[in-house]
Amino acid sequence: MNKQTDSNTDRSTNPNTAVIVASLKKRYAREKRFQWYGRLAVLTGFIFLFLLLADIVSKGTPAFTQSFIKLSINLDPEKLGVDANATTDELRQADYDAVIKSSLRKKFPEVTGRKEKRQLYRLISAGAGYELGDYIAAHPEDIGRTREFWLRAHSEADSYLKGQVNKNTPEADRRVKNDQLKWLDQLRKEGRTDTRFNTTFFTAGDSREPELAGIKAALFGSFFTLSVTFLLSFPIGVFAAIYLQEFAPRNRLTDLIEININNLAAVPSIVYGLLGLAVFINFFGLPRSAPLVGGIVLALITLPTIIITSRTAIQAVSPSIREAALGIGASKLQTIFHHVLPVAMPGVLTGAIIGMAQALGESAPLLMIGMIAFIVDVPGGVTDPSTVLPIQVYLWADSPEHGFMEKTSAAIMVLLGFLIMMNALAIYLRKRFELK
Amino acid sequence: MQTGIMIKDDSVVTDTSVTEKGVTDESTATDINVNKPADEMPPDPREFDIRASSNTGQHETIGQPFIDNARISARNVNVYYGDKQAIIDVSLDIGGNQIIAMIGPSGCGKSTFIRTINRMNDIIPGCRFEGNITLDGEDIYDTEMDIVLLRARVGIVFQKPNPFPKSIYENVAYGPRIHGLAQNKAELDDIVEKSLRRASLFDEVKDQLDKPGTGLSGGQQQRLCIARAIAVSPEVILMDEPCSALDPIATASIEELMDELKEKYTIVIVTHSMQQAARVSQRTAYFHLGKLIEVGNTREIFTTPKHQLTESYITGRFG
Repeated sequence: MNKQTDSNTDRSTNPNTAVIVASLKKRYAREKRFQWYGRLAVLTGFIFLFLLLADIVSKGTPAFTQSFIKLSINLDPEKLGVDANATTDELRQADYDAVIKSSLRKKFPEVTGRKEKRQLYRLISAGAGYELGDYIAAHPEDIGRTREFWLRAHSEADSYLKGQVNKNTPEADRRVKNDQLKWLDQLRKEGRTDTRFNTTFFTAGDSREPELAGIKAALFGSFFTLSVTFLLSFPIGVFAAIYLQEFAPRNRLTDLIEININNLAAVPSIVYGLLGLAVFINFFGLPRSAPLVGGIVLALITLPTIIITSRTAIQAVSPSIREAALGIGASKLQTIFHHVLPVAMPGVLTGAIIGMAQALGESAPLLMIGMIAFIVDVPGGVTDPSTVLPIQVYLWADSPEHGFMEKTSAAIMVLLGFLIMMNALAIYLRKRFELK
Repeated sequence: MQTGIMIKDDSVVTDTSVTEKGVTDESTATDINVNKPADEMPPDPREFDIRASSNTGQHETIGQPFIDNARISARNVNVYYGDKQAIIDVSLDIGGNQIIAMIGPSGCGKSTFIRTINRMNDIIPGCRFEGNITLDGEDIYDTEMDIVLLRARVGIVFQKPNPFPKSIYENVAYGPRIHGLAQNKAELDDIVEKSLRRASLFDEVKDQLDKPGTGLSGGQQQRLCIARAIAVSPEVILMDEPCSALDPIATASIEELMDELKEKYTIVIVTHSMQQAARVSQRTAYFHLGKLIEVGNTREIFTTPKHQLTESYITGRFG
C-alpha cells in the first residue's frame, strides 16, 4: 500500500504520466482482444477445412479398396460356346456370364425362384465376365477344367462387405436384400471373400457400374488439357507481360489494354466456355469434347492471371540491376533476358502455376464445349474426346448409385492431391530460383 | 549559345579576368554571379539560406570550364524531368587521364549531369535532354550514335554497389561476353582476372569466383562493380558517389584504385565528400541547383574559391 502511494507520487511529478498510465490498460486490452479475434478467425478456418477434408477422406477412402468373391467355376467349353482350338478373340467373346451364373447356382442350390436368382447373380459385378475372359484368353489350357476364381463383387455386395450397410434398416430401404446378406455372410464365413486395393480405379475410364469406374480417362484428359493450356498461356502470357512492362509506350492505348486485362481476369469463366463454343468449335470447326479446345479456352482464362503476376514480378526487379546491365552496354533485350527475367522468374512461375491450378479445377467453361461426355476410353491425344477431373467429380456426384458416392470423394482426393503437388512445385521452384 | 561561354578565344583564363568580367560586364547580373565579400555573410553561417540565394536567371560559370585537350565537351546542356529543370545550361570540358570531381549539395544535378554522358537518363520516363555533348568529337546525342556502343565506351559505377545476382566470374565476364571481346574461354578468363586485379579485388576472391557476387562485403561489391565496368575497356568511367555506402577502409582502397585507373581512363566522380574530392581529383566542378557554378583545379577550388556559393559549400556553411 505504501509502495503504491510512493509510486503514485512519483508519477504525479509529470502530469502526462498519469494520463498515459490511465490509458495503458485499455490499450493493452484492445490489443489482447484483437489477438483473440485473430486466433478465433484462424481456428474457424481450420475447423471448416478439417471438416471438409475429414468428410472427403472418410467417404473417399473405401473407394481405394474393392471386394472380391471366390467361386469355383467349371469352364465347360460347351457352356462357354467355344471349341478346343478357338482363337483368342473367340475366347474373349465366349459366354463367361453363363459359367459364373451356373457356378453361383451350384454354390447356392437352394435358390430356385426367378427373382431370387436375379438377386444371386447381382452379387457378382457385370465386369467379372470380361475379367474372366481376359484370364482365359491368356490361359486357354484351363478350358474344361474347374478352378477357383476371385471374382469382382457387385458394388452393392461390395458396400456390404466393406461394412457400409446397416442390417437393421428395413429391407425395403436397402439396396442389399436379406437373401443377399445371408449369402454374403455364408461366403464370408467360408473365407470366400476378400478386400484388395482397387487398381481399377486408376486404370479404367468411366463406367455405369461403380465397381468398374476409374479415373484414368479423366486424369489423362486433365493432363492433355493442361498441357495445351500451359504451352499456350505461359509463353504468350510472359512475353505479353515483358512487352507491356518493358517496351510498350505509356499512352492511352496501353492504359486501355492494361485495364482490360485486369477486367478479363474477373470475367466469369463460363463466358469463356461460350466463346470457345462459338469461336473454336462452331467457327473454326475444332473437334467437340477435345482437350485441344478445352486447353485453348483455359489458356484464355489463365492468361490474365499470368500476365498480371508476371508484370508485377518484372516490375519488382530492382532498377539497379537494369542500370547495371545497361551501364556496361547490354541492349534492352539482353538486359531483360539475362538479368531481369531470371530475377523475376520465381514470381513469374508462381503466377503460372497458380494459373494452372486454377485451370485444373475449372469445370464450367468445359461443360460448354462438351467435355462433360461419358468417357470410357482413355484419350490418346489432344483431339480425342475426353473429360477432366472436376467434371468427372461432377458426373459421379450426379449418379444415383451408392457406389459412386465414394468414387466422387476419391476423385476429389486425387484432384486435391494434384493441386497440392502443383503448389509444392511452385514453392520448390521459387526457393530454387531465389537461392541463385 | 547563351551567356555560358564568355571567352571564346582563350580556353585557359586567368582568375582575375573572369572576376573582372563577372563584375564589370555583368553588373546587372543577379546575386548568384557576384562574388560577395565574406563579411556580407550572416554572422552565424547556419543562418545563410542557400535556397534564398538561388536564382533561375542567366549566369556564367566561373573558373576554367574549358580546356585544350578535352575528351568530352558538354555545351549548353539542359535536362528536364517532366516540367522540372534539373540542369540549367551547363557547359564543361572533361579531359583525358585525369579525375574530375563533381561536388555540390543534394539535388544540384551532378548525378544527372554525369548520367547524360552515357545516356543513362534515357531510361528515365519523362527525362528530356537539350544541348550538345561530344565524346572525342562525336555527338553522343546524335541519332547516328549507337547507345550500346556509347555505353561500352563510357562505363558507369553507381552509388549503391549493384552486382548481378550471379557469380563473381559472371559479373565481370558478362560485359566482354555480350560485346564479343573474347575469342575463347581462356581469353575471357584472362580479361576477368586482369579486371579483378586492376580493381584490386582478385587476391580476395580468386578462390571463390563461382560464388555469388552479392555475397561479398559492400566494399568488395563496389570494387567488383568497378571491375565489371573496366572489363569492357571503356574510355571513360563515370562514378556516381561510389563510396557513399562504404566504410573508410573500403573508401581508401577505392580511392587508391581510382588513382591507378586515371593513368588509362578518364574518370568523372560525383562525391558528397569534399575530402574525397580534394584527395582524388585534379579538377573540381561545383554544381548548385542545376547550375555549374565554378570549375577549376582542385587545389585552387579548395584553397581560393572565387564564388561565394563555392566557398560557403566547401567551408561547410551548408550542404
